[in-house]
Amino acid sequence: MKLKKVVALAMVSVMALSMTACGGKEKEKETEEKTSSKDAKLTVAIWDSNQEPGLKKIMDDFTKKTGVEVDIQVTPWKDYWTMLEAATTGGEMPDVFWMHSDQIATYAQYDDILLNLSDKIEKSDKIDLANYPESIVNIYQNDKGDQLAIPKDIDTCAVWYNKTMFDEAGVEYPSADWTWDDFREIAKKLTNPEKNQYGTAITPGAYQESWYSTIYAYGGEVLSEDKKTSGFDNPKTIEGMQVIENIIKDGSMPEYSVLSENGTSTLMESGTVAMTFQGSWMVSEMANNDYIKENCDIAPLPKGPEGTKSITNGLGWAASAQGEHTEEAWQLIEYLGSKEAQTKQADLGVTMSAYEGVSDGWAKAQPNFNMQAYLDMMEDAQSYPSSKNTQVWFQAMLEEMVAGFSGEEPMETVCKEFAEQMNGFLAEEQ
Amino acid sequence: MRRREKTLKVTKHLVLFIGAIIMLVPFAWMILTAFKTNTEAMQMNPFVIFPSEWRTESFVSVAEKMDFVRLYVNTLLMILGRIICAVLTATMAGYAFGRLRFKGRDFCFGLVLFQMMVPGQIFIIPQYLMVSKMGMLNTIFSLVFPGLVTAFGTFLMRQAYMGLPKELEEAARLDGCNIGQTFLHVMMPLTKSSMVALGIFTALFGFKDLMWPLIANTEQNSMPLAAALAKLQGQFASNFPELMAASMIACIPMIVLYLIFQKQFIEGIATSGGKL
Amino acid sequence: MGKGKEKKRVTKRARSEFLWGWMFILPTMTGLMILNIIPIIQTIWQSFFKTGAFGRGNIFIGLENYQRLFADDSIWQALINTFKYAIVEVPFSIAIALVIAVMLNSKMRGRSTYRAIYFLPMVVAPAAVAMVWKWLFNSEFGLLNHILNSIGLKSVHWLSDPNIAIYSIAVVGIWGVIGYNMVLFLAGLQEIPRDYYEAAEIDGANAFQQFFKITVPLISPTMFFVVVTRVIASLQVFDSIFMMIDKSSQALPKTQSLVYLFYRYAFVENNKGYGSAIVVLLLMIIMVITVIQMVAQKKWVHYN
Repeated sequence: MKLKKVVALAMVSVMALSMTACGGKEKEKETEEKTSSKDAKLTVAIWDSNQEPGLKKIMDDFTKKTGVEVDIQVTPWKDYWTMLEAATTGGEMPDVFWMHSDQIATYAQYDDILLNLSDKIEKSDKIDLANYPESIVNIYQNDKGDQLAIPKDIDTCAVWYNKTMFDEAGVEYPSADWTWDDFREIAKKLTNPEKNQYGTAITPGAYQESWYSTIYAYGGEVLSEDKKTSGFDNPKTIEGMQVIENIIKDGSMPEYSVLSENGTSTLMESGTVAMTFQGSWMVSEMANNDYIKENCDIAPLPKGPEGTKSITNGLGWAASAQGEHTEEAWQLIEYLGSKEAQTKQADLGVTMSAYEGVSDGWAKAQPNFNMQAYLDMMEDAQSYPSSKNTQVWFQAMLEEMVAGFSGEEPMETVCKEFAEQMNGFLAEEQ
Repeated sequence: MRRREKTLKVTKHLVLFIGAIIMLVPFAWMILTAFKTNTEAMQMNPFVIFPSEWRTESFVSVAEKMDFVRLYVNTLLMILGRIICAVLTATMAGYAFGRLRFKGRDFCFGLVLFQMMVPGQIFIIPQYLMVSKMGMLNTIFSLVFPGLVTAFGTFLMRQAYMGLPKELEEAARLDGCNIGQTFLHVMMPLTKSSMVALGIFTALFGFKDLMWPLIANTEQNSMPLAAALAKLQGQFASNFPELMAASMIACIPMIVLYLIFQKQFIEGIATSGGKL
Repeated sequence: MGKGKEKKRVTKRARSEFLWGWMFILPTMTGLMILNIIPIIQTIWQSFFKTGAFGRGNIFIGLENYQRLFADDSIWQALINTFKYAIVEVPFSIAIALVIAVMLNSKMRGRSTYRAIYFLPMVVAPAAVAMVWKWLFNSEFGLLNHILNSIGLKSVHWLSDPNIAIYSIAVVGIWGVIGYNMVLFLAGLQEIPRDYYEAAEIDGANAFQQFFKITVPLISPTMFFVVVTRVIASLQVFDSIFMMIDKSSQALPKTQSLVYLFYRYAFVENNKGYGSAIVVLLLMIIMVITVIQMVAQKKWVHYN
């Protein structure tokens, strides 16, 4: 009996189905239409959920001022660019969104994708590009010099060191003007394999924090100024990389497999290494760790012959040129770039702000650490090397550097070989 | 004989028990992590197995951050839509592919297999463009869209029908049933377990599908659970206890769903024993 | 006269099967065409282009992507890695799941609980799965090496030794799909009529004989389905490698799969053309393997 009922029910549904391909859909459509958002709202796309609460407060201020509502949508980094690409192709771009130095060239090659901000900036009384670091401003320009995004934030790098390990080894804490030679010596002194304690940990993946800086501090370069040739065959670049190689050869780092399995922050937090290089984007994670709170502090990057050369990068706020609300989108970007919003961004501890001189609030958010080191790094900074299609040579670089960092091949050979490869990729970009 | 049976039974239990422990380790770890502080969760050396104190903060803060009711509703509607579509289309197509002979059948079945041979990522951008042309982004429809039909389910149901005895069909035909009636009254009821399995997998694949909803449903209130969860992971730093707490809250409905479905398997034994 | 009637009936039957058949597959085929087949054809088409962003500025370059593909050592290494993974994951996961399913198909205490437990890995968020396995495998602090050390064995670099890492990933794969295979087998076992076993028992067949003489042949259509889908899925392995092997791991060149490389080129480096060529290569390989399986099924799959 029961089976018959089930069958009858199934029959009815199958019949209904064979008439319309998928009858169940219509109803869902209707209910959904009600919930989908109204047109008056601006959509803002970002990828870091940690920044969402802070940015939301800033956006609320904007809504209070202008009456324009804002909806923040977070898509994780891994899928953000696929989303943005699909949205661009389909003409459904968010009104305002984060732009990154690796990707700007792709979006800047067509004039009808990103909103051209140059004229608007000229007329604006809130935005003056002179207030932002030139290195970040320049990232977001196209070939014609049009400004396509307003700098949002800036990141710098510094050294986190384990005070307890320094004390135990009787080594003085890093001074403000320590050099890479000092760093090497200290790392050696702090290494004690029997206790499973090592001086430092530098991985290929920690490029921006550590060895890119070394390269520039020794007068080398990753990428030539005109972005057409690789800097890896530059003798000074190789010299910089050999500084790293020597630290590895000293035995001041854990085995390569340990480095690649754990990452530098984990090794720091587990008390395995005494010094690591961390970008300002890692501050909230590091500073909230109980072990780090108890044992660690921050020092500036070591100096090379050419200075510290902290590699700085920064996001930009860009807007869609395709949207219906470009005027409101500009208003939002203008506000986000203003001194007021940039100060609030730093005060809320969201990130360091791109607007010069407003980031003290960010540093004060972590009173237990010498956050000044991060702010100081801005003075002798080097902008993050990127070309039209950075990811292509960048991915290959990570792959090639493994041989150098694991000690399989001399750094010099690795660099020279990679330079050739990279030149090939760069030639393709043109 | 008796003794052998007994040893067999004990071995069986032992094997299943050890296997179950291995299966459970990650799950237990997930639960433990949800109660730890982030420092404890990240710590490798020495590894912290039990939290120093059973903290429920992670659950509280996750519940505050995420609108679980909305997310459950979205996920449920998505799963429901996908199950209805998948089971209906695949059962019919599976029967045709498995039991009927007609021109073009093998070619069409080839296309079904063909679909399974390419990595799913290639469909995302083309399907996004279709949904965006229809103006249906950020709706439940867009969540269901990639699952309107299922090659996997069609193949599964075809196999189920191919395994059924021929006699039944012939008997039905002699009784004067046409093909549609044979399908409805005789064949379909016999593949109930496979339909349940298909339902479970459709629900599960839909539930676990991450990339599609992250790209097509970016609006907060049109997201399914899994996508909202993925958002919790920041780009650099992530809060593992919160992530695990959220995962736990998220997978409870899936477990309930499975428990309900799996009852069907047991019922299946009871009925098929008598009726066949 | 009788013959004529027979023929008429056959054609009538054939016509009716044709009509019903197409009616039944029409919804599936329409959806499949629009949702999947057209995008696949676009992908194949794309593999002959140097692609620009946003579907604009594609330049036809003929077979250049393929020339690059065939000269690219990392592609061939990835192919080997993919096969290594599949050869471990598929047979083990199927054998283990079949044994468990058969055990759980008989009446016993705790059956439902066991069924739920073996299914659990499938509902856990992939990020959690990757994290816990990374810890289990960690060469310095991991549980596995702790156990090895405590019984006097040397540590193994599960995830960073290029010769081992792919098999470690395969273990995670087996652990993750046992539930999948088990559910399918359980469903298949339900459809075996009870009387077969009763008859065998009367004939005095023991549990093992029953398993090989009744269960295996009668479950072979399900088994065929599991084998075909698992082979395809394992040749598309991506997530676990992506989440568990660091980009700067020494083991990466010997673990990255074809889909990993496809993802890298198409989604990270924005080279959709080359990515498409990789997909086409994978498609060809899977197609050949699947066709072989389709032909070979006649030898071992038992259809009624």
